[in-house]
Amino acid sequence: MFSQEFYIISFESTHHAIQTEIKLKKNFSIETIPTPREISASCGLSIKFPCEKLIDILDELGKEIENVDVFKIQKKGKNKIITKL
Amino acid sequence: MNHKVDARGLSCPKPVIETKKVLDSLNEGSILTIVDNEVAMHNVSKLVQSLNCQVEVKKEKEDFYIYITKGDKIEDIECEIEDEKNLVILFGKDILGDGSEELGKILMKGYIYTLTEYSSYPKTLLFLNSGVKLTTEGSEVLDYLKLLEQEGVEILSCGTCLDYFHLKDKLKVGSVTNMYTILDTLHSAKNRITL
Repeated sequence: MFSQEFYIISFESTHHAIQTEIKLKKNFSIETIPTPREISASCGLSIKFPCEKLIDILDELGKEIENVDVFKIQKKGKNKIITKL
Repeated sequence: MNHKVDARGLSCPKPVIETKKVLDSLNEGSILTIVDNEVAMHNVSKLVQSLNCQVEVKKEKEDFYIYITKGDKIEDIECEIEDEKNLVILFGKDILGDGSEELGKILMKGYIYTLTEYSSYPKTLLFLNSGVKLTTEGSEVLDYLKLLEQEGVEILSCGTCLDYFHLKDKLKVGSVTNMYTILDTLHSAKNRITL
Protein backbone atom coordinates (compact mmCIF):
# COMPACT_ATOMS: atom_id res chain seq x y z
CA MET A 1 0.00 0.00 0.00
CA PHE A 2 2.77 2.45 0.86
CA SER A 3 5.26 1.30 -1.73
CA GLN A 4 7.61 3.93 -3.07
CA GLU A 5 6.74 3.26 -6.70
CA PHE A 6 3.32 3.13 -8.25
CA TYR A 7 1.22 4.41 -11.13
CA ILE A 8 -1.66 6.82 -11.15
CA ILE A 9 -4.31 7.62 -13.73
CA SER A 10 -5.45 11.23 -13.52
CA PHE A 11 -8.86 12.45 -14.60
CA GLU A 12 -10.20 15.83 -15.63
CA SER A 13 -13.70 15.02 -14.43
CA THR A 14 -14.73 13.85 -10.97
CA HIS A 15 -17.57 11.80 -12.40
CA HIS A 16 -15.24 10.07 -14.82
CA ALA A 17 -12.92 9.21 -11.91
CA ILE A 18 -15.79 7.81 -9.83
CA GLN A 19 -17.10 5.70 -12.73
CA THR A 20 -13.65 4.31 -13.44
CA GLU A 21 -13.07 3.59 -9.75
CA ILE A 22 -16.27 1.55 -9.60
CA LYS A 23 -15.32 -0.32 -12.78
CA LEU A 24 -11.74 -1.10 -11.75
CA LYS A 25 -12.59 -1.97 -8.16
CA LYS A 26 -14.37 -5.12 -9.33
CA ASN A 27 -11.12 -6.74 -10.40
CA PHE A 28 -8.28 -4.68 -8.98
CA SER A 29 -7.02 -3.40 -5.68
CA ILE A 30 -6.88 0.33 -6.38
CA GLU A 31 -7.15 3.54 -4.37
CA THR A 32 -8.68 6.87 -5.29
CA ILE A 33 -6.41 9.70 -4.18
CA PRO A 34 -6.22 13.44 -4.84
CA THR A 35 -4.14 14.15 -7.97
CA PRO A 36 -0.67 15.25 -6.79
CA ARG A 37 -0.30 18.99 -7.25
CA GLU A 38 2.85 18.50 -9.28
CA ILE A 39 0.60 17.07 -12.00
CA SER A 40 -2.41 19.34 -11.83
CA ALA A 41 -3.49 22.22 -9.64
CA SER A 42 -7.13 21.59 -10.42
CA CYS A 43 -9.13 19.70 -7.85
CA GLY A 44 -8.71 16.38 -9.62
CA LEU A 45 -8.91 12.79 -8.56
CA SER A 46 -6.56 10.01 -9.53
CA ILE A 47 -6.58 6.26 -9.27
CA LYS A 48 -3.49 4.72 -7.74
CA PHE A 49 -2.36 1.17 -8.41
CA PRO A 50 0.76 -0.98 -8.05
CA CYS A 51 3.31 -1.13 -10.90
CA GLU A 52 2.70 -4.78 -11.72
CA LYS A 53 -0.95 -4.07 -12.58
CA LEU A 54 -0.17 -1.51 -15.29
CA ILE A 55 -0.79 -3.70 -18.34
CA ASP A 56 -3.93 -5.33 -16.94
CA ILE A 57 -5.44 -1.99 -15.99
CA LEU A 58 -4.65 -0.32 -19.31
CA ASP A 59 -6.23 -3.35 -20.94
CA GLU A 60 -9.36 -3.01 -18.84
CA LEU A 61 -9.66 0.71 -19.65
CA GLY A 62 -9.51 0.03 -23.38
CA LYS A 63 -10.41 3.06 -25.46
CA GLU A 64 -10.98 5.22 -22.40
CA ILE A 65 -7.25 5.56 -22.10
CA GLU A 66 -7.41 8.35 -24.70
CA ASN A 67 -9.22 10.59 -22.22
CA VAL A 68 -6.90 10.14 -19.24
CA ASP A 69 -3.24 10.60 -18.35
CA VAL A 70 -1.08 7.93 -16.75
CA PHE A 71 1.91 8.78 -14.59
CA LYS A 72 4.59 6.79 -12.81
CA ILE A 73 5.35 8.10 -9.33
CA GLN A 74 8.61 7.37 -7.53
CA LYS A 75 8.85 8.64 -3.99
CA LYS A 76 12.09 9.58 -2.31
CA GLY A 77 11.37 10.72 1.21
CA LYS A 78 8.94 13.59 0.83
CA ASN A 79 9.97 14.19 -2.79
CA LYS A 80 8.32 12.65 -5.83
CA ILE A 81 9.64 11.92 -9.28
CA ILE A 82 6.77 11.95 -11.75
CA THR A 83 7.04 10.54 -15.25
CA LYS A 84 4.22 10.79 -17.77
CA LEU A 85 3.66 7.71 -19.89
CA MET B 1 -0.58 5.48 49.32
CA ASN B 2 -2.71 8.28 50.72
CA HIS B 3 -5.82 7.82 48.58
CA LYS B 4 -7.54 4.92 46.92
CA VAL B 5 -10.33 4.78 44.33
CA ASP B 6 -11.76 1.32 43.85
CA ALA B 7 -13.54 1.66 40.51
CA ARG B 8 -13.99 -2.04 39.83
CA GLY B 9 -17.47 -2.77 38.57
CA LEU B 10 -18.06 0.86 37.65
CA SER B 11 -18.90 1.62 34.04
CA CYS B 12 -17.39 4.35 31.87
CA PRO B 13 -16.96 7.25 32.60
CA LYS B 14 -17.33 6.66 36.37
CA PRO B 15 -13.71 5.54 37.01
CA VAL B 16 -12.44 8.72 35.35
CA ILE B 17 -14.86 10.96 37.25
CA GLU B 18 -14.07 9.38 40.62
CA THR B 19 -10.32 9.64 40.01
CA LYS B 20 -10.62 13.25 38.88
CA LYS B 21 -12.60 14.16 42.01
CA VAL B 22 -9.83 12.87 44.27
CA LEU B 23 -7.09 14.41 42.11
CA ASP B 24 -8.80 17.79 42.22
CA SER B 25 -8.96 17.68 46.00
CA LEU B 26 -5.20 17.13 46.26
CA ASN B 27 -2.33 19.55 45.88
CA GLU B 28 0.28 16.86 46.07
CA GLY B 29 0.31 13.17 46.88
CA SER B 30 -0.51 9.84 45.43
CA ILE B 31 -3.64 7.95 44.51
CA LEU B 32 -4.27 4.34 43.64
CA THR B 33 -7.16 3.72 41.27
CA ILE B 34 -8.20 0.12 40.66
CA VAL B 35 -10.23 -0.77 37.57
CA ASP B 36 -11.27 -4.06 36.07
CA ASN B 37 -11.05 -3.39 32.35
CA GLU B 38 -8.55 -2.10 29.83
CA VAL B 39 -10.67 0.72 28.43
CA ALA B 40 -11.10 2.23 31.90
CA MET B 41 -7.36 1.80 32.51
CA HIS B 42 -6.51 3.72 29.32
CA ASN B 43 -9.06 6.44 30.03
CA VAL B 44 -7.86 6.99 33.60
CA SER B 45 -4.21 6.97 32.47
CA LYS B 46 -4.93 9.53 29.78
CA LEU B 47 -6.82 11.81 32.13
CA VAL B 48 -4.02 11.65 34.65
CA GLN B 49 -1.29 12.30 32.09
CA SER B 50 -3.24 15.22 30.65
CA LEU B 51 -3.35 16.67 34.18
CA ASN B 52 0.43 16.50 34.34
CA CYS B 53 0.64 13.70 36.89
CA GLN B 54 2.87 10.66 36.81
CA VAL B 55 1.23 7.34 36.24
CA GLU B 56 2.27 3.73 36.52
CA VAL B 57 0.01 0.77 35.77
CA LYS B 58 0.32 -2.75 37.15
CA LYS B 59 -1.88 -5.61 36.09
CA GLU B 60 -2.89 -8.03 38.82
CA LYS B 61 -5.07 -10.92 37.71
CA GLU B 62 -8.05 -9.29 35.99
CA ASP B 63 -7.56 -5.88 37.58
CA PHE B 64 -5.43 -2.89 36.70
CA TYR B 65 -3.76 -0.96 39.52
CA ILE B 66 -3.09 2.61 38.44
CA TYR B 67 -0.59 4.40 40.67
CA ILE B 68 -0.88 8.14 40.28
CA THR B 69 1.47 10.75 41.67
CA LYS B 70 0.47 14.37 41.66
CA GLY B 71 3.32 16.82 41.92
CA ASP B 72 4.87 19.62 39.96
CA LYS B 73 6.26 18.39 36.68
CA ILE B 74 5.80 21.69 34.88
CA GLU B 75 8.77 21.41 32.50
CA ASP B 76 7.39 18.53 30.48
CA ILE B 77 4.09 20.17 29.82
CA GLU B 78 5.74 23.35 28.57
CA CYS B 79 7.72 21.36 26.01
CA GLU B 80 4.56 19.82 24.72
CA ILE B 81 2.72 23.10 24.36
CA GLU B 82 5.69 24.58 22.54
CA ASP B 83 5.58 21.70 20.07
CA GLU B 84 4.60 23.15 16.71
CA LYS B 85 2.84 19.92 15.87
CA ASN B 86 0.22 20.60 18.50
CA LEU B 87 -2.61 20.46 15.99
CA VAL B 88 -5.81 18.58 16.75
CA ILE B 89 -8.23 17.59 14.01
CA LEU B 90 -11.79 16.78 15.00
CA PHE B 91 -13.66 14.46 12.62
CA GLY B 92 -17.33 15.02 13.47
CA LYS B 93 -18.62 12.91 10.59
CA ASP B 94 -17.42 10.35 8.07
CA ILE B 95 -17.73 12.64 5.06
CA LEU B 96 -16.04 15.93 4.19
CA GLY B 97 -18.40 18.80 3.56
CA ASP B 98 -22.11 18.68 2.82
CA GLY B 99 -24.06 18.33 -0.40
CA SER B 100 -23.21 14.91 -1.74
CA GLU B 101 -22.57 11.85 0.38
CA GLU B 102 -20.73 10.09 -2.46
CA LEU B 103 -18.43 13.05 -3.05
CA GLY B 104 -18.08 13.64 0.71
CA LYS B 105 -16.70 10.13 1.17
CA ILE B 106 -14.20 10.57 -1.65
CA LEU B 107 -13.06 13.91 -0.27
CA MET B 108 -12.63 12.47 3.24
CA LYS B 109 -10.56 9.60 1.83
CA GLY B 110 -8.51 12.13 -0.10
CA TYR B 111 -8.03 14.33 2.98
CA ILE B 112 -6.75 11.50 5.16
CA TYR B 113 -4.54 10.13 2.36
CA THR B 114 -3.04 13.59 1.90
CA LEU B 115 -2.40 13.85 5.66
CA THR B 116 -0.06 10.85 5.33
CA GLU B 117 1.91 12.74 2.67
CA TYR B 118 1.95 16.08 4.45
CA SER B 119 5.26 17.33 5.82
CA SER B 120 4.17 17.76 9.43
CA TYR B 121 1.74 15.44 11.13
CA PRO B 122 -0.96 16.60 13.53
CA LYS B 123 -0.69 15.62 17.19
CA THR B 124 -4.14 14.10 17.59
CA LEU B 125 -7.08 13.01 15.45
CA LEU B 126 -10.40 12.87 17.30
CA PHE B 127 -13.33 10.92 15.86
CA LEU B 128 -16.87 11.74 16.96
CA ASN B 129 -20.41 10.82 15.92
CA SER B 130 -20.33 9.13 12.46
CA GLY B 131 -16.62 10.04 12.31
CA VAL B 132 -16.03 6.77 14.18
CA LYS B 133 -16.96 4.92 10.98
CA LEU B 134 -13.52 5.98 9.76
CA THR B 135 -11.64 4.15 12.54
CA THR B 136 -13.69 0.95 12.53
CA GLU B 137 -14.06 -2.19 10.45
CA GLY B 138 -15.03 -1.53 6.83
CA SER B 139 -13.40 1.90 6.71
CA GLU B 140 -11.41 2.59 3.56
CA VAL B 141 -8.88 4.78 5.37
CA LEU B 142 -7.68 2.31 8.02
CA ASP B 143 -4.29 1.82 6.36
CA TYR B 144 -3.71 5.57 6.22
CA LEU B 145 -4.73 5.99 9.85
CA LYS B 146 -2.49 3.08 10.90
CA LEU B 147 0.43 4.72 9.13
CA LEU B 148 -0.26 8.00 10.93
CA GLU B 149 -0.46 6.15 14.24
CA GLN B 150 2.91 4.51 13.56
CA GLU B 151 4.31 7.97 12.95
CA GLY B 152 3.20 9.03 16.41
CA VAL B 153 -0.16 10.64 15.70
CA GLU B 154 -2.63 9.96 18.49
CA ILE B 155 -5.92 8.53 17.20
CA LEU B 156 -8.92 8.66 19.52
CA SER B 157 -12.49 7.54 18.95
CA CYS B 158 -15.42 8.58 21.12
CA GLY B 159 -16.64 5.59 23.17
CA THR B 160 -20.22 6.85 23.38
CA CYS B 161 -20.32 7.12 19.60
CA LEU B 162 -18.80 3.66 19.02
CA ASP B 163 -21.44 2.27 21.34
CA TYR B 164 -24.26 4.17 19.60
CA PHE B 165 -23.30 2.76 16.19
CA HIS B 166 -22.68 -0.73 17.67
CA LEU B 167 -19.04 -0.47 16.63
CA LYS B 168 -17.43 -1.01 20.05
CA ASP B 169 -15.84 -4.33 19.04
CA LYS B 170 -14.98 -3.11 15.57
CA LEU B 171 -12.37 -0.45 16.38
CA LYS B 172 -9.34 -1.10 14.15
CA VAL B 173 -7.02 1.81 14.85
CA GLY B 174 -6.21 4.03 17.81
CA SER B 175 -7.98 3.86 21.15
CA VAL B 176 -11.29 4.65 22.82
CA THR B 177 -11.77 7.90 24.67
CA ASN B 178 -14.46 9.86 26.47
CA MET B 179 -15.67 13.45 26.64
CA TYR B 180 -13.17 14.39 29.38
CA THR B 181 -10.19 13.54 27.21
CA ILE B 182 -11.86 15.01 24.13
CA LEU B 183 -12.42 18.26 26.00
CA ASP B 184 -8.89 18.30 27.42
CA THR B 185 -7.41 17.55 24.01
CA LEU B 186 -9.41 20.26 22.27
CA HIS B 187 -8.86 22.88 24.95
CA SER B 188 -5.12 22.30 25.31
CA ALA B 189 -4.47 22.25 21.57
CA LYS B 190 -2.62 25.16 20.06
CA ASN B 191 -4.44 24.73 16.76
CA ARG B 192 -7.70 22.98 16.01
CA ILE B 193 -9.49 22.00 12.83
CA THR B 194 -13.07 20.77 12.88
CA LEU B 195 -14.22 18.79 9.88
